[in-house]
Amino acid sequence: MSAKPSVGTITEPARQIRVCREADVVVVGGGPGGVGSAIAAARSGAKTVLIERYGHLGGMASGGLVNIIPNLSDISGKQHTYGLTLELLNRLDKRGGTSYPEKKDWGTADRKTVDYYLDANLGWFYVREDQNTGKQRVLYSAVVDPEILKGELNDMVLEAGVDLILHSWGTQVVKEGNTVNGVFFESKSGRQAILGKVVIDATGDGDMFVAAGAEYDNECDNKRRTAWLALVFWMANVNIRKYDSFKAEQPEKYKELMQELTKLGGYPVFFKGILKNQENVVWYHCMQPQPERTDAMDVEQLTKIDIQARKRALITYEFMRKHVPGFEKCFIMLTAPQLGTQGGRRITGEYTVSEKDLETDEIFEDTIAVLANNDYGEISARHPTLCIPYRCLVPKQVDGLLVAGRAFSSADTINEAFNIIPHCIAYGQAAGTAAAMSVKGGIQPRKVDYKELRKNLVKQGVNLPEIGESRAVEAPPAPERDKSDYYQKYR
Amino acid sequence: MKTIKESARETRVAREADVVVVGGGPGGIGAAVSAARNGVDTVLIERYGYLGGMGTGGLVTIIPQLTDYTGKQQIVGLTQEWIDRLIARNAVDYPKKEHWGSLDKELVRYYFQRSFFMTRLDRVVYAAIISAEISKVILNDMVEEAGVKTYCHAWGTEPIMEGNHCKGVIIESKSGRQAILGKVVIDSTGDGDLFPYAGIEFEDNIPPNFRIANLALCFWVDGVDLKKAMDFRMNNPKEFMELNRKAMEAGGQGGFMPSNLPDQDAVVWFHNRFPNKSQVDVEELTRVEFEGRKKMIKTYEFFKENMPGFEKSFIVLSSPQLGTRSSRRMIGEYQLTQKDLANNQPFKDTIAILPDLDRGQESLDHPNMYIPYRCLLPKNVDNFLVACRAFSSDMHVQDNFNLIPHCIAFGEAAGTASAMALQAGVGVKNVDIKALQKQLAKQGVPLPDVNKKVDYKYTGPALVSSAFTPPH
Repeated sequence: MSAKPSVGTITEPARQIRVCREADVVVVGGGPGGVGSAIAAARSGAKTVLIERYGHLGGMASGGLVNIIPNLSDISGKQHTYGLTLELLNRLDKRGGTSYPEKKDWGTADRKTVDYYLDANLGWFYVREDQNTGKQRVLYSAVVDPEILKGELNDMVLEAGVDLILHSWGTQVVKEGNTVNGVFFESKSGRQAILGKVVIDATGDGDMFVAAGAEYDNECDNKRRTAWLALVFWMANVNIRKYDSFKAEQPEKYKELMQELTKLGGYPVFFKGILKNQENVVWYHCMQPQPERTDAMDVEQLTKIDIQARKRALITYEFMRKHVPGFEKCFIMLTAPQLGTQGGRRITGEYTVSEKDLETDEIFEDTIAVLANNDYGEISARHPTLCIPYRCLVPKQVDGLLVAGRAFSSADTINEAFNIIPHCIAYGQAAGTAAAMSVKGGIQPRKVDYKELRKNLVKQGVNLPEIGESRAVEAPPAPERDKSDYYQKYR
Repeated sequence: MKTIKESARETRVAREADVVVVGGGPGGIGAAVSAARNGVDTVLIERYGYLGGMGTGGLVTIIPQLTDYTGKQQIVGLTQEWIDRLIARNAVDYPKKEHWGSLDKELVRYYFQRSFFMTRLDRVVYAAIISAEISKVILNDMVEEAGVKTYCHAWGTEPIMEGNHCKGVIIESKSGRQAILGKVVIDSTGDGDLFPYAGIEFEDNIPPNFRIANLALCFWVDGVDLKKAMDFRMNNPKEFMELNRKAMEAGGQGGFMPSNLPDQDAVVWFHNRFPNKSQVDVEELTRVEFEGRKKMIKTYEFFKENMPGFEKSFIVLSSPQLGTRSSRRMIGEYQLTQKDLANNQPFKDTIAILPDLDRGQESLDHPNMYIPYRCLLPKNVDNFLVACRAFSSDMHVQDNFNLIPHCIAFGEAAGTASAMALQAGVGVKNVDIKALQKQLAKQGVPLPDVNKKVDYKYTGPALVSSAFTPPH
């Protein structure tokens, strides 16, 4: 007998739901965007509730084992990301919970230093090729210990006075007319509601704005990183030096083996070393390429990918163990508790950041973050940073709602490179601060005074350019481009 | 209590099936695999991205209590199948078969040092330490091969009721709220999440001194020079105890268990207890999650600084799921109670035999516990089964018989029974018990002769050690 998919519906009758909290700001989702939002809102004086589906905070950075906070500087080594990201890294540093290139090496093209970082730690994330010189340079990117991160994030939200509820899945919004004023969530305590003056959707996937009926975009072609899902796993007890010498001494044999592994359905690529204290651990970031566009929101597809990825992890493990020197005694230490989602729905906001903004170097009057632009090759060389306006966190139609995280209003070209951890923290910090201002002023989030918001963010240590400042790099005029030029470059 | 009105709504039906199993822990796997293998269309709904519940995501990577004190294996069936598949991948550790039940002092000492779970009642018992990661793949394979339709990342939240009939369940996922309809619904949520909505009677009283009154946040530490640590423990027992005491004083925990799995030579396991008021109260779950994480970091930092062998250690993972031990318990057609613990007679509708090993002399006098099918059946819902630790039991029975292999056994019976009931066109309450027992036996489940009166008296040597102290 085979299961029969159905398109029917059932009627759920109206019912009374217990209201378990009333707050100023309700943040749904405890990933980088949600943590940034909740801390900023609470520190700005708003009564803030944060609900998180899993038992830990950090989202992809912890539960997804995507424990990298990259692109904190541009390719010249100039740091652009400060604010909560830097505060977090400083705290992790005190506990030995992060590794990153020494400050003196940021931007260096010194071959020995570049090679050291390429080899030491998650290579690509530390190094980019400078299109102006053709030389590789070292970036400021940090790798973090996911377990220490979980602990530190708990401390940070609690110290800020956030009321946190874990193991709770925010599923629907409470809405009156066009205004969101709370959320329904599911937990072991059953269905409950939390009311709030501003709701921040930090679910990563825009679960709240979909429930609120807001307009959104989920266009994303399958050549983009963001269209793929990943299941990260760690292999421990690897003798890396032995592996290195095998690879150096028998490059042909190594290549053959990796081809065979690929044919079997395994993953040939891994990153050496996650943290300085984890010498014998390697990191597999198993992208699951999709024949067609992946919808990270389809539970059937999520299930399929999870099952597939686990099989492939096992194939990889058994093959490496059997055939590759250095891996004889390895074991799979863990697979990520959360599937690595990389993109999906994006709100249609008051402003949508697109590839055009990469070229104009515009400093918006509502700029809330300036981000290093390192991933677009020649385009990055001309335009080392991108400004993000507050308006791309504000839904065009729905009131009482802000979006913090990778679902910010952006074209797929922009979302691909500017939806990762430090970016989401920055969007969160702005959304949380704005939400608190909106509550204090008794106004809708879209009415928040941009100047005041920027002033508050600067006070919190966020790096923002002066309006009117020029950011352009001296260079010959840009060639004509079409959309296909705007893909993330992996070198 | 303030409430807010949620309006009526139309909810999309994602699927119609014969059997819907909510929860992919040990009970749910047992239920789904058995139902599907017995020929009915089965859907399994799991909240996380992997199956196994406490056995994988809870990092309670131990399947204990498979033999009774005599060394006779009483739990076989799907549990043994899981272990056999682990053996094939060299991802499990357990005492050698010829040692099960042995009273040999040297052997008992050896296994006690290897794992706390491998000895009971002065004897070696069959308990398996499993690889969580390999298990996740194996369990996927098992449900897939059986033809189960699985939904990962989907949270079964409520039953859809029509009078005394459960028509299916509501699920929440990234696809939004949907419904899955089924002819039989099996609650394997561990916590009886469907009970309050289905109007199923339950109790949840747990005295604070019971094992099941505690949550856990297990974690693994890698990079340990285990030989150095164990030598230190062996040669300096006083200093070792003193360090563990100091770890606790510093807000951490003392005591760790070596992984024992092949090649995990540098890995140790911290298993802990956090007293709490309720394991289905989201506020309590949040509080313990915070306390657990704080304690974990303190433990890690203390060990790294002070315990020989831990100098280069790192936390590799804290369990993605809190270690829940018990919450709601159904009051079903039959409720197993304390007085059943003192009974050696099988029930007419016995569907599992569970070794009784944790109660000292009492266990020697009553070496096995029989589980009747009726304790999986609610009183007031007609097409519903419970296959998890929320089975109908009082706190005493629950404290001893709600572990991984037990839940698999409940699941195996529930899944098989629901398939047989559907095929016979009867309700799950009217399933032919003899036929069910015959089918379970065919699936490798040891069952007693329910017509024979058991005349049992313990005649072995007097008990020397307790479960929690090393053998003399």
